[in-house]
Amino acid sequence: MSDPTTFLFAVVVLSLVANTGISLYGVFTRPSLVKKFISLTIFSDTLNSFAIAIGFRRVVGPYPSAAVLSSVPEDPDELLAFAGSAVDPLPQALVLTAIVIGLAVYMFLAGLIMLYHRHYRTTRMV
Amino acid sequence: MRLREVVVAVSVALMVLLLAYVVSAGGLGPLAPRELRELARSYLANAYNPWNVTQSSLSLEAVTAIVWDYRGIDTFFETSVLFASIVGVSLIFRGYRERPGIGGRGLSEIVKTSTRVLLPLILVAGVSIALHGHLTPGGGFQGGSFIAVLLVLATVVFSLDFLVERGLASGRLLALRSAGLLGVLATSVALLAVGLALGIDAYIFQNMVREGSELSMPQWLLDRPTGGTLLFFNVFEALAVAAGLALAFLVLSLREEEVGEAMAAGEWHE
Repeated sequence: MSDPTTFLFAVVVLSLVANTGISLYGVFTRPSLVKKFISLTIFSDTLNSFAIAIGFRRVVGPYPSAAVLSSVPEDPDELLAFAGSAVDPLPQALVLTAIVIGLAVYMFLAGLIMLYHRHYRTTRMV
Repeated sequence: MRLREVVVAVSVALMVLLLAYVVSAGGLGPLAPRELRELARSYLANAYNPWNVTQSSLSLEAVTAIVWDYRGIDTFFETSVLFASIVGVSLIFRGYRERPGIGGRGLSEIVKTSTRVLLPLILVAGVSIALHGHLTPGGGFQGGSFIAVLLVLATVVFSLDFLVERGLASGRLLALRSAGLLGVLATSVALLAVGLALGIDAYIFQNMVREGSELSMPQWLLDRPTGGTLLFFNVFEALAVAAGLALAFLVLSLREEEVGEAMAAGEWHE
């Protein structure tokens, strides 16, 4: 426990890991398709938050800045200062892609679950 | 059955423990480092870099620059996956048509009035997020989701007839969705088409001046940077996502009378 920031960041990461396990348990053991679906969305949201947490960094000041320039830079030094204080934009871009593709899959799954319910009048598997 | 649940619980707990060990042992690289990875530094330094235009997309927001410029083809196929999923949803509910006048009077007058006040505000916020995707956090997908929320809210509060009467039935939404995707496609090959017409070398998904190509999208709109193709990509993506999500919601919220028709619709070969 070197400093409070490290401790709190470790707590966040470990709770995300625990959340992964809990949501997977829901996917495996709940008999209702709707609850499996909800667990699956929680699983993907957890992994997305985890990916964004990997892009986090520490800076000299209190907080790192977002990966957005707030004004048009006047000289190259401003760019270097920006690159020295902003968080990693790549995980955010990848997570944006992952969210969209997840949304596509979930829309299709929701349609399938509705069909299943219409045919069998229940969403319970097993 | 009990044994199965115990086995699942123990293996999930084991997975969590091992994953926690891997993370704490630094298996995913240092968490919250002081120095960024070289790739991230290069993206941050080049997203808006007028002194090194051949590697820059001249967008103030690094995430949009990555999504639509550096990894543009990836995002194009991602939006195609969304399109394919909407086609799939329409396919498993084939034969479905909105029938106006089934009833469904919506929610109470209080909710309707407050929603009437809210709808234009949501529209303006969504359009602003989409148009400023290269200047502030946000972008085409986020703005489009905002506008889709507007359509979903209108469906829930005023009933489905509200959208159908305004010409936003599923067929029209699918056409808007396809128009958005075609717009993205046209933007990605725009400079290539100009280059072919003028006999100059150009690339697919070219944004600014690149090595070996002099062509460039407009860099400034009045006194604001446009990010070249990013502005067009964001607008078309917002249109596509708004229409697509609203379409999926309409198809998933079909009513019992329409469900009967959809289920009765047979296969073409029958």
